[in-house]
Amino acid sequence: MTVAITRTKAEQGLTQNFEAVAAKLPGNPAVAEARRAAIGAFAALGLPHRRLEAWKYTDLRSHLKEALPAAVADAPSSLTRAELDAALEELADVAADRMVFVDGVYDRGLSQAGVIAGVRLAPLAASLASPASEAELNGTIPGQEAVLALNTAFMTDGAVIDIAAGSTLASPLLLVFIRTGSGGKRLITTRNLVTIGEKARATVIEAHLNLPGAAAGHSNSLSQLTLGEGAQLAHLKCTIGGDGESHVASLLPVLAAGASYRAFQLTAATGLVRNNVGLTFAGEGGKADVSGCFLGRGSEHIDTTLVIDHAVAGCESRELFKGVLADRARGVFQGKVIVRPDAQHTDGKQMAQVLMLSETAEFDSKPELEINADDVVCGHGSTSAEIDPDLIFYCRSRGIAAAEARSLLIESFIGEAIDKVTDEALNPALMAMARRRLVGLGT
Amino acid sequence: MLEIKNLRVKLADEDKLILDGVSLQVPKGQVHAIMGPNGSGKSTLAYVLSGRDGYQVSDGSILWNGEDLLAMEPDERAAKGVFLAFQYPMEIPGVATMTFLRTAVNAVRKKRGEAEFTTPEFLRRARAEAARLSIADEMLKRALNVGFSGGEKKRMEILQMAMLEPTLCVLDETDSGLDIDAVRVVSEGVNRLKSKDRAMLIITHYQRLLNYIIPDRVHVMAAGRIQKSGGKELALELEQTGYAEFNNRAA
Repeated sequence: MTVAITRTKAEQGLTQNFEAVAAKLPGNPAVAEARRAAIGAFAALGLPHRRLEAWKYTDLRSHLKEALPAAVADAPSSLTRAELDAALEELADVAADRMVFVDGVYDRGLSQAGVIAGVRLAPLAASLASPASEAELNGTIPGQEAVLALNTAFMTDGAVIDIAAGSTLASPLLLVFIRTGSGGKRLITTRNLVTIGEKARATVIEAHLNLPGAAAGHSNSLSQLTLGEGAQLAHLKCTIGGDGESHVASLLPVLAAGASYRAFQLTAATGLVRNNVGLTFAGEGGKADVSGCFLGRGSEHIDTTLVIDHAVAGCESRELFKGVLADRARGVFQGKVIVRPDAQHTDGKQMAQVLMLSETAEFDSKPELEINADDVVCGHGSTSAEIDPDLIFYCRSRGIAAAEARSLLIESFIGEAIDKVTDEALNPALMAMARRRLVGLGT
Repeated sequence: MLEIKNLRVKLADEDKLILDGVSLQVPKGQVHAIMGPNGSGKSTLAYVLSGRDGYQVSDGSILWNGEDLLAMEPDERAAKGVFLAFQYPMEIPGVATMTFLRTAVNAVRKKRGEAEFTTPEFLRRARAEAARLSIADEMLKRALNVGFSGGEKKRMEILQMAMLEPTLCVLDETDSGLDIDAVRVVSEGVNRLKSKDRAMLIITHYQRLLNYIIPDRVHVMAAGRIQKSGGKELALELEQTGYAEFNNRAA
């Protein structure tokens, strides 16, 4: 029996748009071939939809009404440093080496990454063009995932970061992905390849944002993170665009023995956001903390999907996500912890908590434990609640006005998550950025 | 002066009156105690004075210095000097005690038309007051009341009271769950706040606390009314006879 697959307008459009830009996308012939294979894979898969378990609450197929023209490196951007810093908010003040990608294309002028000992930084576009890229791309199209296939097909640029064994980065690396809206609504596709050598240490911050008033659009971002033995990576992702339609991000860390990965996501963007973390413990004694805070208002849809794969023994994973949902916002949390048969002494804990500020907000939470070993400690929990009226009364009885009491309680709620970021500059920066987005929420 | 006249109160979603015609006057500079059996309406009176939701006043009035308290929001009442020390102080995870104190103190000072404290000035005052109540600096950094013992929570209430400088202090079962040393520390804290400008209403089930905080008047409350009033010796009398007489009267 043959089943005729009907493709949506957006799905057909994506395939057609690929043909339109294929010649302008960066890369050597092998890369071009990988792109063509990927768009072929996508054409067979289509956009993910709610009948796929991992996309149950985020039906990308019905959400994406149209395919947008893909961004390519055409005209140089006119973005100024001042505009960029304004869009970065408090992150602009964090001392960091920067790589800036404007509408998906590396901007040398705005980037300020000096020569750092033991670190190789390169824009992905240049790297794709070099003969070595075949090795770099090898294995970078994991599984049959449509959004990853799209990333391979359309990726224009991103950061290639290679930190030599034993090196410690003094300052964080700030990767900025900014949408200017120039040329209208676009699909922006970026990929980062991050390799942290044995016992090396680094902090990488991804900031996904847009210029105020920029035309909306779609973005697809992928970060592949490879941590060597004993490597330590702190990885922040701030998704704070105000005029987006959809932002689909995949974060794929792989930890060698004794590696430590501390990730934090601050998400408060308009439209649909999906942060998909697929973390693999590939060596024993690894530690991961993947936490975050999401703030939704209007009709925003923020999806956090985690798959933590304890493939080996003796690893520790922690996840704490806190959300605040107002208006008709919808939050999704899916946290799957897989403990493979040999992964004894796994220690996994997960918690998702949401404050509901309106009756029309929605939170879908699906924690999942898939345990195939017998000597493990795993736990998970999920709560959603309104602000406790008794606590508001307590504050008010001390003279604190109702609105201020609510703000205080909301801030304290998300503060518990933000405090996972212990860096003295980043913690207050994140708190200030979150606080700005809480103004007027649910009052 | 606090003037409560013929106050009738029920829960918003029930018909039964909890306060059934309470009348009471507490002049400035005096300490009054309200004693009574469980379920007599003592705590309800405390909550209604502080403006908690969920109660419906069907009759009567509460005037504080001639102003209608019932017309005010809880935070306005606080600004007018009303303070309730809770029987069960609430835990606020994620808000450091010092942050909470400063937010409250500055909110109240602002509403009273006083200048907000500078940070150093505030810290100095808070630490000095905390020390008097044997509250360690370290506790001021912790989230408010989270993981505090019963005694620590009650001392924290008194610290808030001292910092907010209220003129009408209502203490709801402040001695419940405290050992004798904690009762002493808390009582000393309350006694330090006695002044000619301040009225205090001590709500308690047992006479014990009144050994430390000597009341000017004692009122017995049962079945939602003040059944008897007298001097401080009334508390000792009750310790002997119990509330049986009043329970019977209520029935």
